[in-house]
Amino acid sequence: MIRRGNALKRTAGVVMALSLVAAACSSSSDGEAESTTGVSAVTEETTAGTAADTSDAADDVVVTQSAGGRLAAVQAAGVLECGGNDTLPGFGIIDADGSFSGFDIDFCKVIAAAVLGDSEAVNVTPLVAAQRFPTLQSGEIDVLIRNTTWTASRDGAEQANFLQTTFFDGQGFMVRADSGIDTIADASNTTICVLTGTTTLLNLNAVLGDRGIPFTALEFESNDELQPAFVAEQCEVWTSDASQLAAFAATLDIETSILPDIISKEPLGPVVADGDTEWAQAVNWAVMATIQAEEFGITSENIGSFADSEDSGIRRFLGLPISDGDGNEVIAEVGLGLPTDFASNIISQVGNYGEIFERNLAPLSLSRGPNALWTDGGLMYVPPFR
Amino acid sequence: MLERVLRLAIILAIFAALYIAYWKVRSSSRSHADEPPPWRDSRVLVLAAQVAALGLIWSAADYLWANFRARTSDIGLELDFRFLDQPSGISIADNPLNSNAAIREALTQGVRNTFLIIIVGIPLAVMFGTLIGIARLSTNWLLSKIATVYVEFFRNIPVLLVIVLTWTIFLNAFPPARISWLPFGETFIFNNLRFGFPSIVSGNNFGTFQIVVLLGLLAAVALWIWRSRLFDRTGTPHHRVLYGLGTFVAISVAGFIALGGPFDITTPEIIDRVYVGGVTMIMPYAAVMVGLVLYTASHIAEIVRGSILSVDKGQVEAGNALALNSFQRYRFVILPQAFRVAFPPLINQFLNYTKNSSLAFAVGFAEITGVIQNLFGQSRPAPQLLFILMVVYLVFSLVLSAIGNVINRRLQIVGR
Repeated sequence: MIRRGNALKRTAGVVMALSLVAAACSSSSDGEAESTTGVSAVTEETTAGTAADTSDAADDVVVTQSAGGRLAAVQAAGVLECGGNDTLPGFGIIDADGSFSGFDIDFCKVIAAAVLGDSEAVNVTPLVAAQRFPTLQSGEIDVLIRNTTWTASRDGAEQANFLQTTFFDGQGFMVRADSGIDTIADASNTTICVLTGTTTLLNLNAVLGDRGIPFTALEFESNDELQPAFVAEQCEVWTSDASQLAAFAATLDIETSILPDIISKEPLGPVVADGDTEWAQAVNWAVMATIQAEEFGITSENIGSFADSEDSGIRRFLGLPISDGDGNEVIAEVGLGLPTDFASNIISQVGNYGEIFERNLAPLSLSRGPNALWTDGGLMYVPPFR
Repeated sequence: MLERVLRLAIILAIFAALYIAYWKVRSSSRSHADEPPPWRDSRVLVLAAQVAALGLIWSAADYLWANFRARTSDIGLELDFRFLDQPSGISIADNPLNSNAAIREALTQGVRNTFLIIIVGIPLAVMFGTLIGIARLSTNWLLSKIATVYVEFFRNIPVLLVIVLTWTIFLNAFPPARISWLPFGETFIFNNLRFGFPSIVSGNNFGTFQIVVLLGLLAAVALWIWRSRLFDRTGTPHHRVLYGLGTFVAISVAGFIALGGPFDITTPEIIDRVYVGGVTMIMPYAAVMVGLVLYTASHIAEIVRGSILSVDKGQVEAGNALALNSFQRYRFVILPQAFRVAFPPLINQFLNYTKNSSLAFAVGFAEITGVIQNLFGQSRPAPQLLFILMVVYLVFSLVLSAIGNVINRRLQIVGR
């Protein structure tokens, strides 16, 4: 009797344990379902949080939001937030006194001169490559000018809006001046130094592979090892963006030459966030004004002499009054939201495209090449200012 | 997170309540009346603590994983491995890998390069480290001081620095390729990109010759075993190295002559920047290897020194009493006992060596970490690649540990 009772109890225990396990299972699967919703709730919260943050940031500009978003916001703030580079000689570098200078930085000043009438009303935020798009998307900077290549995926996936290209770059090759290599076709069976994890490496493999030029790619993690390897002739050729090669060539003790072959397109220019056409247009026309000014032959030096120019195109461009034939003087309004004299502010305060190029890139012995005006056979061509 | 902990606490509380109810029912019967309540039953408490700890760990892991999934799906990151079949676009120096080959092939070549660093470097590090360790204990003042300076120098600087230092020395000590150093009548090539060595190329009857060499090897092994057994049984000096090597060389030479010179030796040369003949080794590989061996040997030297010192002094005196000379004393008395002590920490050094090999890509040698870093830069998904990287090092480490443990077990004194 006792034994049977024990057996009964044991069975009861087992059944109970099983039901417990079952309960645990079902409760845990419920738990999973809950946890999933819990997570999505968390995600929503974070999204909501970011949205709230953005609206917080936008609160400062909320008055001007209806008047046209960022253009008005920048004008209200009185300073242009510009994302730039601080380590690339010629394009964006920090000086001994802590101020920024360079080709890209000058275009930040161009935009400030156009929008605010003061080329010095710029606050440059130095960004590393990986930071630049997130920073632009978050609205921390108004415009990004940091030797950034315009590509389809960046235009699409990064919610970026690429504007007038200010520098047509391309992947080039640098060799020692006495190497006897004049074009990349002479470089068969050479060793080519390249940075690992770059599109430069992909272009190198693809293009030289297509052309049937055998080579050895020696890949380095940073220029700290690549540069001594090139100097010690471990590799005969160094490939990177042509402008960067020129910048490094200026710092080397050896005589180098850059081959005429350019194997990729790297158009660099200002970038703004998607979704604000007015701001994009304002930035775009400010940048294009420098190119138009060079085409007109207007420089920061001679702009004063154009005050009584007879050319109605120039008068309109500089925001000077034009006679309407009945003796009335009118100033043409192009409706970009910029002051009518934005172009003359840009030119008198920063200079035209040629001057900006000369100031920053000529010291690196970079020639104009594709960055010459279209009238000189280059690619710099802008729509008419009327 | 709080919600999860609460939920977990509620589930555990329900368990506890049910168990207590069960105990109540159970203890009402007379046969179980003397059982302590669960909150005073140490077996139950220990089990409950373990269950609770497990639940906490599980909740934390689940929370992190769910967060990870939510984030990756937010930014549209796929977590599958289909990308492995896409063309990698990358290349590896002195590796026939085509840049259009699939990513999995690039990864395979990376693993191969890691393997090449490990398989050559670890034996070298053990041999060199042992010599330095013995040298530190030498009665020769100069030798022991040199060994001490060596150990203290390499043991106290970061391994990355050692590798970059070796690389920089090689880079500047050897001439560029166009004016390569060609020692020994141009049979070798040394420049700061590649080292070239003479090698064997197959001639007539090379296949047959390989079989003859293999037979020679088998004969040598058989003789070795026979002499060893004879020694164990009768104590006759075995001279097994002499017997084995002699047989092997004799058979090989006889085969070489009989087959009319089945192989030739080629020397490397550079014609229009192309290396013809011989075998070449890329300089970064040599630099990484030398750097890692120098670094690891300094650690191994200390292990060997400590193990030798751990051998009882009486053993040395016994060796002296038997009139063994210094070499014999080390070879037959001290080192066999010292290695028994040294081996477990040596396995650790092997694992460190394996992991340190991941620094090779700093100087342009693309082993698995280098290949994966390169792929990161080509917008390939980082989570999967990191997972692969971890699995690769895990497998290397586990295999090394397993081999080490087998050897270690055989080294131990058989207890009686």
